[in-house]
This record gives sequence, C-alpha cells and structure tokens, in this order.
Amino acid sequence: MSNEIDLDEIFGKYKSDPYDYIDIYAVHTGVVSFKVEKDAEVNSISGEWQHIPGTPLYEINRERNPKLIHSYVNGTVSEINHDLQGAFVEAGEKLMTIRHPLKKKEIIENILKEVLYLFPAPEKAKYFFALDIQSRIDKKGARSVAITPGDEILTMSLMKRDTPIYYKGEPGIIHSVYFKPGISVEQGTPLIGVCAPDKVPMIQKIITRVKAEWDAIH
Amino acid sequence: MHDLQLTATEIQRYIQEEELPRRCKSVLASDAAEIMRYGSFVGSEVELHACLGRAMDHGRLYIDSREKSGKSVHNGRIILAETLTKSKGRFTRSWHAPHGGLWGCLVHAPTLLPRSTMLLSLALGVSACEAIRKAGIDEAHIRWINDIIVGEAKLAGFLVESHTGPRWRENFHLIGFGINVNNESFPSELEDTATSLRKILGRSLSLSDFCRDFIANLAWNIGLLYFVEARWPDWPETCVFDIHPVLASWQELTDSIGREVTFGYDVMEKPQYNAKVTGISEDGGLQLLLPDGTSTIEHSGEIRYVPKSKYF
Repeated sequence: MSNEIDLDEIFGKYKSDPYDYIDIYAVHTGVVSFKVEKDAEVNSISGEWQHIPGTPLYEINRERNPKLIHSYVNGTVSEINHDLQGAFVEAGEKLMTIRHPLKKKEIIENILKEVLYLFPAPEKAKYFFALDIQSRIDKKGARSVAITPGDEILTMSLMKRDTPIYYKGEPGIIHSVYFKPGISVEQGTPLIGVCAPDKVPMIQKIITRVKAEWDAIH
Repeated sequence: MHDLQLTATEIQRYIQEEELPRRCKSVLASDAAEIMRYGSFVGSEVELHACLGRAMDHGRLYIDSREKSGKSVHNGRIILAETLTKSKGRFTRSWHAPHGGLWGCLVHAPTLLPRSTMLLSLALGVSACEAIRKAGIDEAHIRWINDIIVGEAKLAGFLVESHTGPRWRENFHLIGFGINVNNESFPSELEDTATSLRKILGRSLSLSDFCRDFIANLAWNIGLLYFVEARWPDWPETCVFDIHPVLASWQELTDSIGREVTFGYDVMEKPQYNAKVTGISEDGGLQLLLPDGTSTIEHSGEIRYVPKSKYF
C-alpha cells in the first residue's frame, strides 16, 4: 500500500496513452501455432455468465494434446513473436502483446490498485464473503467493515468443498470488491482491495478527480 | 445406541476379509491391496452418539480440543450420530436427520495434491452410490457433483468444509454425509424431493451393515486418489488405469451426462442458465453446452434436471 502517489504524473500517463499493454505468455511447454495476426482485433470473454470464450489467440500442443488459448481482454494485437510459429516453447515464453483500451472505471481501478492492498484469490474458484462479514456489509456497507490479519473473511467454494479464507495483509477497511458471487475467479486475481481508514479521503479524491478530468476530455 | 453398532476393528476386518477380495476382481490383487492401504485411515477410529447438533460442528470441536491439549488429530476419525438436531444442507437449506438415517462426518487431513482434491467430492458420491446399489437400488444415480438420487428424489448428500485448528493452524477437511436409509417421513417441504432406501425397498436395512459398506467404499475410493497420485507425473503410463478410476466410476454411476439441466451456484434460489451436460472434465468439472452453441466447464455450483427439454 503506497503512502505517496503523484496523481498528476499518473493521470498524465493515462491521458497520453489510455491503454494497457498485456503480454500473453505460453501457458505450458509445447509447439505453438498462432491464430491471430499483428493488428488483429480481439474480443474478451463475454456472455451473461462469462461463458463465451474470447478470440482464439494460439494453440499449444504438448504430447498430442492441443489446447486452444483464448483472449481474456479485448483490444488489438500490437506485437507478435512470429519466430515462434510452429516452434517448441517453454512455459512462460512471451508470445504476443495485446493493446487494451482502458475505460474510465478501469483507470480508476488501476490507480486505486497502487494505493490499496490487494488480496488475491488463492485458487480458481467461486468466492463469497464469510457470514459474519456479509452481515456487516449488509448492515453498513463494505467500506465500514474493518478487517485484520487472521480474520475469516471469505469462503472459497470449489467442487462442493467450502474452505474458509483467512485474511493476510495490512489491516484496514474493505474498499473495493472485485468478485461477484457465482462467477469463477482466476487464481491470483484480486478479490478485495483494502486500505487504512485514514486513506479513504485520499482515495475518494482520486476517484472524483479521475471522473471529472476523464469526462472533460471524452 | 440402538441402530448403529460399529467399531473401527469391525470396519477394518470387513475391509480386509470382504471388501478387498471383492475389489480384487476388478484390479490386480497387489494394486488392490495397495489402494486399500492408502485408504485404510478411513474409519480407523469411530465415535458413536445417540444425538448431536451437527456432526461437522462436533468434528470442529474435536479438532480444537485435540490441538489445545497438545494432541494430534486422528486422521480418518468418523463421527456418527443416530439423530442430528441442527443438521443443514448447503446455504440455508434444511436437512432432516431423524432416527434411521446415516448421519456423520469424516475428519480428513488434506494431504492430497490439489488435482486429487478436486476429485474428492466425486469419490464421496461414488462411495455412497455403490453402497446404495449394493443394497438393491439399481436405479440410484449420481447427480453432479455428488447428490445421490432416484428419479428426482434425493437419497444422500455430502458437504465438505475445511477447518483450521486453533493452535497449529493445520487445515482439515470435515466430510459431512447424510444418507436416508431407514427413515421414512420427511417434513412437508422435503416430501417431494427426498426419499429413503426403506421407502424404495419396502423394508428396513441393518444401518450398521450399510454404514460399514459405505465406509469400506470410502476407504477404497479415497485410497484410489492417493494411489493414482503416487503415480503422477508419469500417470497414466505407469498406472493400470486408462482414465482416473474415480472419474470412470462416477461416469458409470451418473445420469447427468446428456441431460438438459438448470445450473446455478445456488440453483434453488438463483438459477443461472440452462444447458446440456456433455461430459465431465479430467478435474471433475461439468462440461456444458449452452443454447447459443458455446461450451463451458463449471467447477462449483449445482444442477437440477429439466423435465422437458426447452432448448435441445
């Protein structure tokens, strides 16, 4: 959780280049076959239940087991490593970059991620708040719920197995909730963003300023 | 205790003398013996009660008290009660647990790797369905993930909850099970959706014998998870099975595949979408085909069968 943030510098960066550049890596070893070209438009996962896969990006074949990898963001293929077409790659090899146009909400969240402590999903699963936390959220809203390390904050549900998740991180209030009950969350994706209560005014200032300035230029 | 008369010694004797020889008919004797050794912790201690609030809560208290007194938790301990007064299903659903049913909880130290743990819930359903079919109900099936049903009526349900010990912060699975064996009457809200072995068979069963069969099956199927895991990462080359044997058994016992279903995380309160079940993935996920032609895999949630197809 950062104490200092140069909002002018950060916001200037987003105004001059309102994109995220997302590198796509080989998910495991295997022979790669690209399904897109440079400058191709790609779509992210969609559908009411997030059930429609994004644009196929590449196929990776390991021991006669081909796996088609889809885009999880929308944007344009800004860079692609054509030398790897048909080549055997190691897990984690960078294959391409997608330029993703940012929306106002995403810019706010990106800036907030620099000041919030982000608590990640330990496994790909569905999550919901622990009963006590949920009841406190229902009564007063998430931003009035203070949590400390060791608190049981979430339940991870996977294959009819419910596991309590204990908070590890800096004490604070639940400022942002990044998951929805019933929708799977990928491992490592932030579930909640936590901040110290004395930082709430600064965060509110960020949100107000981004909204105002973004609306002014769009 | 009247209905349940069961000891860990009796369970182990049954496994060695009756269950193991039966299993040797389907796999090599040496493999079967190894599988049973892996699963032998299941039911190695049994705790019987006339009445409990909730068996899983009792399991939590057991873990907490052992840790607080500096003693280790007995992996494989089975807690059984003739009746439960505070039993519940998932979410806020009621679960009626009167005399005559098999209600309990298995304490499991989760020493499996994540990919085996994914199949644990399937192993529970397989174990119960095998015991129910052995009791004479051939039309019992598994509905993903592990509900045991006859037609649309539920015979058995399972829930796995994790619990972290207060002193050593060690994590345990509490595997809760509820099987309607000799109980016949259900509250009005469950009358249309629940049934029991006795209602279907028209006679009572020995609850102790049924429980012993179920625990022996649990020992086998959980043992299979460890047996296959020990052969990774080279499995299946170094393993006697073509596909994971728990998945194979689940596929044999399910009636979910090919059905049109309503899916939801809490399908009763918040049904999400209808789809056709096309199969089960290697990690136990439910493969679904949606009306718009897209496919997806769900690893968490539940289904209900659609009586009359709407989309397929």
